[in-house]
Amino acid sequence: MKTPSVRVAGLGLACALGLGLENCVRSLRAGERPARPLSLEGWGDPIRLPFYSFPDDGRGPFDPERLERMLPQIAEEALSAAGLSPKQRRRTALFVGSTAYGIARAEGEYLSLLERAPGSSFALSRIGFQEIRELMRETCGIEGPDFAFNTACTASANALLAAQRSLSVGRFDHALILGVELANRTTLTGFSGLQLLADELRPFDARRSGIVLGEGIGAAVLERGSGRLNFPGGSSNSDTYSVTSANPDGSSIARLEAEVLARASLKPDAIRGIKAHGTASPLNDAGEAAGLRKTFGLLPPLTALKPYLGHTLGACGIVEFALLGGALAEGFLPAVPGFSQEDPLLGVRPLTAAAPAPDGTYLLNYFGFGGNNTALLLEKSA
Amino acid sequence: MKARLLASSHRIDGIGLAPAPSLDEALHQACREQHRRIDRFIQLALLGAARCAGGRPLDPSTALYLGSGVGPAGNNIIVQEQICRDKVLPRPFNFVNTLGSSATFFVAKELGLEGQGWWVARRGATFEALLELALTDLELGIAPAALVGVAEECPQPVADQRRRLGVKAETPLAEGSHWLLLEKGGGPESLEAEFELQGEALLAALALRWRPEDAVAFGPSVPPELRAELARGRQEFTPAFPGEHDSAAAAFVTDFLENKGDGRLHLVAGLAPNHALISVTPKI
Repeated sequence: MKTPSVRVAGLGLACALGLGLENCVRSLRAGERPARPLSLEGWGDPIRLPFYSFPDDGRGPFDPERLERMLPQIAEEALSAAGLSPKQRRRTALFVGSTAYGIARAEGEYLSLLERAPGSSFALSRIGFQEIRELMRETCGIEGPDFAFNTACTASANALLAAQRSLSVGRFDHALILGVELANRTTLTGFSGLQLLADELRPFDARRSGIVLGEGIGAAVLERGSGRLNFPGGSSNSDTYSVTSANPDGSSIARLEAEVLARASLKPDAIRGIKAHGTASPLNDAGEAAGLRKTFGLLPPLTALKPYLGHTLGACGIVEFALLGGALAEGFLPAVPGFSQEDPLLGVRPLTAAAPAPDGTYLLNYFGFGGNNTALLLEKSA
Repeated sequence: MKARLLASSHRIDGIGLAPAPSLDEALHQACREQHRRIDRFIQLALLGAARCAGGRPLDPSTALYLGSGVGPAGNNIIVQEQICRDKVLPRPFNFVNTLGSSATFFVAKELGLEGQGWWVARRGATFEALLELALTDLELGIAPAALVGVAEECPQPVADQRRRLGVKAETPLAEGSHWLLLEKGGGPESLEAEFELQGEALLAALALRWRPEDAVAFGPSVPPELRAELARGRQEFTPAFPGEHDSAAAAFVTDFLENKGDGRLHLVAGLAPNHALISVTPKI
């Protein structure tokens, strides 16, 4: 069943490219790739890795007050752009996606406890998604029901999808969707242990060797109706090949792409461009490329945004939705920096220079641990 | 929003000072596969989901909605202690299992599901949030059926967990797994729910659905005055649970269905002031 499209009424963004959507799109157009070295001490040999962090504010990447300081600012950017009145805000539903929520703050509190009482057991007294609900109520006046998604790297993409469906059946008039991923020790040490990290992000390149992590906060306000940027929905499915990667034969991804096109009553040639998930990990790029080849006879222009802002994990759904939306509004599809050597096993070649972005429908892919695959559509209209 | 109720499963265990009971044998009985590298939280989810499916083959497109108020707490504690206290890298399966989607992965694998698999939480009202999304998707025809469940783990020692939850020292705690299998439509066995009901709208909705043989129940966040007003002249369903966990609404519904009470149950739940009214009609 085709769900009615909803309008993207406002966007907000903070990532390594900058604070505020306009700044981020300007840096994207300039081709900036602002990964910086990050060092974690205290785990035997220090862990040194490149990381796409927010522009330096002098407080360091593990500042426990970051969530409270930055999230309302980015939510407000989207809410102000949408022009919601205080009454409308009170009735607005909140959909959030993250892998770590407020874990940075919990880590900080636990480390303080360990200084006072060495050997203590972990005393998690906070639940991150509950904190976000309360923060949005206090700072932005959002009092509608809340839904916190934790489907790994598809979390905020699924939050967007759920919001679109709820709006399309008239459950709410407006929805605020947030994606949040801030630097924290759990994620950085966890990915180090998984040995999935690389020095440089090169999606679909023959020399790709893994991901580079990043932090980001994205926000969107959706409402019923249509405008210059619309969200017709998408689809989500499960792949039980492996808990940490999609099936590299592309079968589950091809099934997903077929579902999302069928739900929107679109043929593959109606897609004007694709934002790949493009993690640059060998297996995931193989699965995504294979899935795209099975779906599209002639592949539309293919871009990937992670070389500009890192893999922002649970936030990447909304962060990349907002950044792509901003680029489309400016009329361009960004190139994929770092790509220079085609992998004959993948058989896909992403954009190596920015391309014009005509009106029409764009496909956005997201895949996550736990076999969670999600694809969204974004429609640019005259 | 209304759905046909195909099956349910209910499990709740009081957790005392002794180690929590092993779930290995129960899992062996309920599951087709022997799953490796899973923690207790995933075991709870698997057990409830497999029992709800009851060995019947599910349509692979069935959508899965799993959530929890406190999530994989035991595993999260292990990971934090590895990183912050012991200064070692977390073990890969511990790290991956901090994500809710690990549990959905194993449930999907066990039941052969290929459709949407979502993990969603709302502290104090996770079941209500899951139901709202599942019923919306059924209404839209996103999936032919919806498997909706919550799992709540209580890591040991219980005294530490009470401190984390901010409850009194004598509060009995429980862990549980509560599941429903739904499909679009109504019928003799059904679930009907309305959400974000306030004040007069809630009173009116309950009055409209009420029949003399029915029972009413209340989630923990319903204010006492409202509860008294809604309970007046009505039979109240109050199951005896061995302890508390964060998904009381789910426990009420699946307990009622398991014990096949007379008439229907109308559960007033959700977070004040936005309440949910969930009505279930079991097989009589």
